[in-house]
Amino acid sequence: MRKPKPFIEILSSSLHGDYKFPILEILAFLFVLSSFVFTNIGGWGSTGASEEFVVFSIIRSLMGLPLFILVMLLLKNIASGIGNDLEKGTIQTLLAYPLKRRSILTARLLSAFGMALLLFLGIQISALYILTPDMVAPNLPVVLLSYAANISLPLFIASVTLLMALILRKGSLGVIVGIMFFFLFGILSSLVSFMSQAMNSILPMQLYSLVSPSFCLDFYYGSLQSDHVFWAPSFSEALMYVGAGYGISAFLFCLSYFYFCRRLNL
Amino acid sequence: MPLVVAENLCKDYGKIVAVDSLCLEVNEGSIVGLIGPNGAGKTTTIKMILGLMKPDRGRVEVFGKNPWDDPKIRSDVGVVYEKPLFPAGEKVSDYLERVCRIFGVDESRASEVLKLVNLDEANDRPIKALSAGMLQKFAIAHSVIHEPRFVIADEITSNLDPKARSSLLDLILQLHEDQKVTFLLSSHILPELSRVCDSVVIINKGKVNAAGSLSELYEKFTARTIRVSSDKPHELAEAVKRLPYVEKVETDSQGISVKISKEGDDAVYQDISKLARKIRAKILGIETESTSLEELYKVVVDSEVN
Repeated sequence: MRKPKPFIEILSSSLHGDYKFPILEILAFLFVLSSFVFTNIGGWGSTGASEEFVVFSIIRSLMGLPLFILVMLLLKNIASGIGNDLEKGTIQTLLAYPLKRRSILTARLLSAFGMALLLFLGIQISALYILTPDMVAPNLPVVLLSYAANISLPLFIASVTLLMALILRKGSLGVIVGIMFFFLFGILSSLVSFMSQAMNSILPMQLYSLVSPSFCLDFYYGSLQSDHVFWAPSFSEALMYVGAGYGISAFLFCLSYFYFCRRLNL
Repeated sequence: MPLVVAENLCKDYGKIVAVDSLCLEVNEGSIVGLIGPNGAGKTTTIKMILGLMKPDRGRVEVFGKNPWDDPKIRSDVGVVYEKPLFPAGEKVSDYLERVCRIFGVDESRASEVLKLVNLDEANDRPIKALSAGMLQKFAIAHSVIHEPRFVIADEITSNLDPKARSSLLDLILQLHEDQKVTFLLSSHILPELSRVCDSVVIINKGKVNAAGSLSELYEKFTARTIRVSSDKPHELAEAVKRLPYVEKVETDSQGISVKISKEGDDAVYQDISKLARKIRAKILGIETESTSLEELYKVVVDSEVN
């Protein structure tokens, strides 16, 4: 009798399902291509911008398309992983194994999110080092904060999608909701700036920053460059929004865990 | 000793009551049949026993533990679902070897169980390439791979042809005899259940209508039918009808079929012989007809409706 390894086996089967050849290879290629091709690294010297602002701006341009690919990958993994299990009923087979429900969900999420984030961040940080070798180490807090702020929205969208997929028991429907959310937030970022100026209040911006803290960070670094910005949040305020963004996503993930482990009847 | 104890189990789907105060026991070493019409609550009951569903009220224990809270009991439980659900893209042998690692049994067990269900030639096929019958066999191989003490099977024979059904029932009996595996089987094909089960639970509208060994239930719910061959069937029928314990008499050219209640058990042969002598009819043969599980099931469900 060997030692049972249910968690490792479910994780390995999830990885096998989520990143079947050539999904991982194509994604890595797209991440690398979009990281190097669309990044704006030139011309910052003549603007007189601070190094912090330059690093933040480079990271923003470095993340543009890869962030979109990351969101799509997370949504696809939710649909084909736990969503598919619920839709097709294979979750019942998983629940025939001596494994807690939370371990099954953790294995599925580690595969869906962990691997995708690892791939995304690995390529991003490598690209940043290759493109701006002298700027990363001295500005590590800016790098970390920028990534943390920018990944918060994809995580929020993924957590909403997961919860929807669990409640609706249909991965595909959850993904449609997730894609709608992603584009909605893109439109909302322009809309809240307009609303704030029309209302002469920063409240819409603050509310939006709760789920998309990179919006607040934009204003924070913008305010370092110019005094004429509509909203000039402090550094601690920016940090607070990043924390709040992760807090909301963590709450939604906990809700998903609670629903899956204690409420979901199959 | 009961492996499964369910007490006052209740489960609603909104306004629909799927299971209503259901009580059930499955003793170690037995083969129990769970029968009932469509929508009777069989699958819901099985899901609560497996811990896939939480009862709204009541208690269910498997090996003395709550299956919803304690997944470890599944190390000793095998499951065959009505519709086998496996990742379609994986190869038969790869998937079973993975299941071996999950349960911590030697990977060679995968080929053993495939051989056991006569599926060893499909070893290298992807699961999606299996026919419905092969998939059912695969599900059975999957359910016994870790040598469980208890196997729950929902409509286990539904996708199999008669020959495959027969060999599956032989397999159940073999596992039961060799490894003392306890089974809870739900099936619509009642003659098969009567071949393997030593007791049945008949449920309807979420409630247990009857439970016990087959002989006990036949005794309790069905009238005995006596077949009498005679040269004067019509005259004999008229005379037999007057016996107080006779419920129904059917006549044909060869003889009569007499349905009697329990009270007539001891006297019926003697009384019919006496009556035959009185009307000068010859008795060419007399025997008790056996009642099928299907008839028993109809009687139990009909008695509840009435």
